[in-house]
Amino acid sequence: MKLKLTCDAVELAHPREGAGALSFDLPPGSAMVVLGRNGTGKSTLLRTLAGLDLPKRGTVTLGPQPVAKMPPRRRAAHLAFVSSTPPRGAALTVSEVIELALEAGGHPASLDRIEAALEQGGIAAWADESIDTLSDGMAQKVMLARAAAQSDSVILLDEPTAFLDVVGRREVMADVGAWRDQGKAVVLATHDLDAVEEAGWADRWMVMRPPAKGGSLIVESPFTSDAAKELLTA
Amino acid sequence: MNARWSNPVLLAAMVLLFIAGLFSGPAQLAWSEEWRALSGEGSPTAVTIMWQLRLPRLMTAVLSGASLGLAGLLMQTYFRNPLAGPSVLGVTSGATLGVALVALGGATLGWMPHALNMAPQVMGALLGSGAVMVLLGLVMGQFRSRTALLIFGLMVGYLAGALVTVLQAGAEAGALQAFVHWGMGSFSQGGWTPCAIVAVALVGAVFWVRRTASLLDMWTMGALTARTMGVDERKLSWGALGTAGVLAGLVTAWCGPIAFLGLATPHLVRAAGAPRRHAGLLWPVLLTGATLALFADGVVRWFGVPLNAVLSLVGAPVVLMLIIRRGRWSSSQAQGA
Repeated sequence: MKLKLTCDAVELAHPREGAGALSFDLPPGSAMVVLGRNGTGKSTLLRTLAGLDLPKRGTVTLGPQPVAKMPPRRRAAHLAFVSSTPPRGAALTVSEVIELALEAGGHPASLDRIEAALEQGGIAAWADESIDTLSDGMAQKVMLARAAAQSDSVILLDEPTAFLDVVGRREVMADVGAWRDQGKAVVLATHDLDAVEEAGWADRWMVMRPPAKGGSLIVESPFTSDAAKELLTA
Repeated sequence: MNARWSNPVLLAAMVLLFIAGLFSGPAQLAWSEEWRALSGEGSPTAVTIMWQLRLPRLMTAVLSGASLGLAGLLMQTYFRNPLAGPSVLGVTSGATLGVALVALGGATLGWMPHALNMAPQVMGALLGSGAVMVLLGLVMGQFRSRTALLIFGLMVGYLAGALVTVLQAGAEAGALQAFVHWGMGSFSQGGWTPCAIVAVALVGAVFWVRRTASLLDMWTMGALTARTMGVDERKLSWGALGTAGVLAGLVTAWCGPIAFLGLATPHLVRAAGAPRRHAGLLWPVLLTGATLALFADGVVRWFGVPLNAVLSLVGAPVVLMLIIRRGRWSSSQAQGA
């Protein structure tokens, strides 16, 4: 069963000037792009949605439960997180990472499932390589496949394209669209306006701003880079 | 080495060294006499040599080597630092200070006999190693780089060393001599009781690592990723640091501050191509640690060199090699710590 992520009147613990009270729903099969200048709280929002940070006020719930109070293993089956920097020094092979992701998600880590996940993530060719020997872009692709193999419901992406080339960015954006079509809910924090516009699936986006600059707002219309720039620089 | 063959090969090496150690020694007993003494027959002297000296010494080496290897593996995983180990991050120094407080401070105050008194000494070592582990766990988040953590361990080592020197300066001659001898490291100071205690701790540690193996694997991908994969950071931290601290503390209490064994063992296992996941690393690490300890003990017995000298002669080049090869992970230092 897929769970809905709900953010109810959440005020973030950082930054100090705040980002206003944030309320939104992420039902299965939805995606939201989170934009904002540096230091407006994008990463804090994602960490709060993941239950890693506690909000100053308000609650984040995943299904029936506050996300921060869920047992870590149950939460992992429904929520995965990808940060901007792929891990280094992990000494695991690509297929071992996927095997761990299936375990974390509470799925049987059978050979078939591992192969299917490797295939879906487009990383089957590197299955037996150590992720330490991959480039940042390749390792990030592994981490995206890891998140997809792990979580049934929600995937949170914190600037996943920061180290990627133009093709890599396009692939990440295509992945997000595909996950949404599979019924997963995705939150993508990014500065990569052009790649989002090019992907074409974004019809819900949030601009994070401190209250002094008008506060955060959620726009529900097809994303355009120009409209986003205007709101960001206002 | 092929993963399928590595455990049997390591086990065979360990057993061979154990047998060699059992049937050789300065006493020059005949084979037949040694063999009879093992079943409790023959001259009482031979029985004593076999059952009170050689067997407990070899068992101490096996258990200590395995324990330090496992402690080293846990520390390298937890700190995501290939240079972590009980003797590098100040854990052994903490245990040494604990022992010095009991053995030297106690004797000076007159509430301890001259010889090293085991029970308080074990408590001292455990408290010392435990304190450093807790300190490391607390400050770990403050360090942006892996190098900072190593420097922290080094400084803790200096501080503990300075306090030990102060205690030594004021110590009474008999206690000082016993302490200096202990500090050279040896597997011969134990007996059956320490063997039993270390064995119980080691079995507990092995069970914990087996149950937590996947979580330890996830931890190597970074704290943030691991936490969102279902790792309870607090539980894992206490488990890993506590297990490594108890193992290192117990071994230090009886065998002295053993150098390099904990640091070098996991590296040798990985260099030999053992599996990367912790479930597969566990047995090769235990067996390699035990084998290395038996080998070092053999050198000690044949050449009369102190144990720590032997281990440093082998261990220091391993660390140098690691630092030279460090380029591979130094560029991403900040991310992992």
